[in-house]
Amino acid sequence: MKRIPKPVFFIVAIFILLFSFSAVFGVSYYVGDNKENVVKGISDIRWGTDIRGGVEATFEPDGVDATDAQLDSAKSIIETRMVSTGITDYELYADYNTDRIIVRFPWKEDEKKFDVKAALEEISSTAELTFRPGNSYESTTIGSDGKYVYKTPTGDTKTVLMNGSAVKKAQAGIDSSSSNSKKSNYVVSLELNDKGAKTFADITGEYTGKVVSIWMDDIMLSAPTIQEKITGGKAQISGDFTAEEATALAEKINAGALPFKLKTSSYGSVSASLGENSLQAMATAGIIAIILISLFMIIMYRLPGIIAVIALIGQMGITIAAISGYFTVFNSFTMTLPGIAGLILSIGMGVDANVITSERIMEEMRSGRTLDGALDRGTKSSLSAIVDGNMTIVIVAIILLLVFGPFNLLSFIFGQSTTGTIYAFGYTLLVGVISNFIMGIGLSRVMLRAVAGYKFARHKWLFGGVKDGE
Amino acid sequence: MASNIKKKTLEEKLLVRGKAPKDFVGSRKIYFIISLAIILIGIVCNFIFGTTMDIQFTGGSMLKYSYSGTLDDAKLKSLVQEKTPDDIVTFSDSKDLVNNKNMLTVQFSGNTTISADLQDNITKSISKQFPKNSFKLEQSSSVDATMGFSFLLKCLVAVAIAGVLMVLYVTIRFKKIGGLSAGVMGLVALFHDLAIIYFFYVIFRMPIDSSFMAVALMILGYSLNDTVVVYDRVREERRNLGYKADIKDVFNLAATKVMRRTIITSITTITAVVIVYVIAVIYNLDSVKAFALPMIIGLISGCYSSLCIAGPLWVMWKKRDKKAKN
Repeated sequence: MKRIPKPVFFIVAIFILLFSFSAVFGVSYYVGDNKENVVKGISDIRWGTDIRGGVEATFEPDGVDATDAQLDSAKSIIETRMVSTGITDYELYADYNTDRIIVRFPWKEDEKKFDVKAALEEISSTAELTFRPGNSYESTTIGSDGKYVYKTPTGDTKTVLMNGSAVKKAQAGIDSSSSNSKKSNYVVSLELNDKGAKTFADITGEYTGKVVSIWMDDIMLSAPTIQEKITGGKAQISGDFTAEEATALAEKINAGALPFKLKTSSYGSVSASLGENSLQAMATAGIIAIILISLFMIIMYRLPGIIAVIALIGQMGITIAAISGYFTVFNSFTMTLPGIAGLILSIGMGVDANVITSERIMEEMRSGRTLDGALDRGTKSSLSAIVDGNMTIVIVAIILLLVFGPFNLLSFIFGQSTTGTIYAFGYTLLVGVISNFIMGIGLSRVMLRAVAGYKFARHKWLFGGVKDGE
Repeated sequence: MASNIKKKTLEEKLLVRGKAPKDFVGSRKIYFIISLAIILIGIVCNFIFGTTMDIQFTGGSMLKYSYSGTLDDAKLKSLVQEKTPDDIVTFSDSKDLVNNKNMLTVQFSGNTTISADLQDNITKSISKQFPKNSFKLEQSSSVDATMGFSFLLKCLVAVAIAGVLMVLYVTIRFKKIGGLSAGVMGLVALFHDLAIIYFFYVIFRMPIDSSFMAVALMILGYSLNDTVVVYDRVREERRNLGYKADIKDVFNLAATKVMRRTIITSITTITAVVIVYVIAVIYNLDSVKAFALPMIIGLISGCYSSLCIAGPLWVMWKKRDKKAKN
């Protein structure tokens, strides 16, 4: 048997405990009142709407067969409203086959009333698109996409020159007339209906060289300067747009002229207090489970049991780290109740690799092998069972992720849906298995072999065998 | 010490700690009867009670309120029923033992959704009529029937795909002991476990929801995990004992040797889930309760089916194969 230097046991054990401690509590320091995270801990985990509380809803065009472009516009209205109210963790999908828009969002931080009806109306009401003189606004906030949001027209800008019904369509494109070929110039071309063209001609005549801003509801979308009087009903808005910005602006302008209202076909809500209660409950359950299972393992397997407990703590550490975004290469993950249940379940299943190995070592000792021989044979012959057994769980976890996740494998048949709460269950299950490979197989075995080098540990009794000399 | 190990005879090799292994194959009839009896009771109950589906799948609406104090049930019921004359309204009460809060769930049976306006209206009039109970809307859900049905289909397709993939994996990995027979019998054990969980829902009249689907998938994985560990040991013992040994004895030996592991891992896993369930009962978390209880049943069934159903069936298959060849 290859010997592993004795001190490796303590080095690995201390490394695992330090890592798990930092994954649970995070490491942060304060600059004034601002918390700066070095690594993220449990308190930085993003909780799903079933824990934080929130609303999920499905909207449909009322009685109209909407085109894909119209659906995109309707979606952009909801998006603008989400971003401008500072909600980051929203999910928004358009399903073109069934003409549905699906949205899920948490309550605002300062929400007190949890009024579902008001929240649904706020996001799905028909957008009011207006053209206004000047670009004075009352306030700015930073939207959840990190850009400025200009709110509430004031002064001259309070006057409405023209509204969305004048727009026939808006479209993003590249300005081919531009001589500047170094950089593609993305523009939004605006086409007005007959009545709108007349009004627009008057407006552009009056405001040549001045700014006319375009608003959705209370939010300023764009503030172009009128270059000349436009009579043909066709105009072009140019600026430093990226392709995405131009498309987004066109969609928002189109939203002002949508021929339908959005109807709520399905919705659900959870209040924040209900979720908070659940979180506390699950935390209690998790702690009790870890303590009981640790005691059980130590009583059953003695020294390998202690190693199993260290590995289990490490496994929890890795799983929590994978959720909170401890490793900056992985994004933080939205955690839900079934996700936490999966985490606790993986505490129970996580010791399996250690159980299989320890049982095998005990068995080999009973058949008369020496301690080293038993360790060697036991670890080798148990490997295939652990790997094959875990593969079935990996398959399940991947299916769960693909079916209940945002990039939905079956969505081409069944349509888009928001991330189900079960998605997190698949994720914790998968991470649980992977960390089990690292801890339960990899580091457990290193620790086992290293500790067997210490004289005090060289008793078969410590490994679950009968006492020496018996 | 190593010199003590002398070459064992086949008979000696077939002993576990000096004793004959547990005869799983011999007792198979008892196991099959137990499983068939449970499934039969399930089928009978299914005919009597029918299957209840959650509104997630059928469409419909549910409102959940927290309130304090005692309640005039009849008055409340007529108040809500008045607002939605087309739906049959059912009420269920439960209690949160930690915060000492009462929870009232109002379910609307029609599979049309109630509008947000109506929900708001109901909530406001309840608060108005029962000001002392300080009603608060905690959760609401309203699902369109067509969306519910497509969600159900999606879940079923997922379970089917997972089942097929896992059997394929087993078939490929266990070629040495007759991959297909191992895979198919693993599948029979999976159907067994799914049937047990399903009938558990039916017998206890629990509505089938997305948690059921997650539990079903999870148990598929877990049960096959147990089965795979048994097969793995069969593969190894087969190598040890040579091909002269009777397949029945090989299986009994392998199963007896891994039984401790299967039971211990099941104990730790079930302990974890039981803790979750007990805490969910204390805190009155419906979604977690609906998740944990069938999981416990599935875990027990999964552990049992791999040793007592999949294995003996596999031995029977192999024996018939051998006979056919002779």
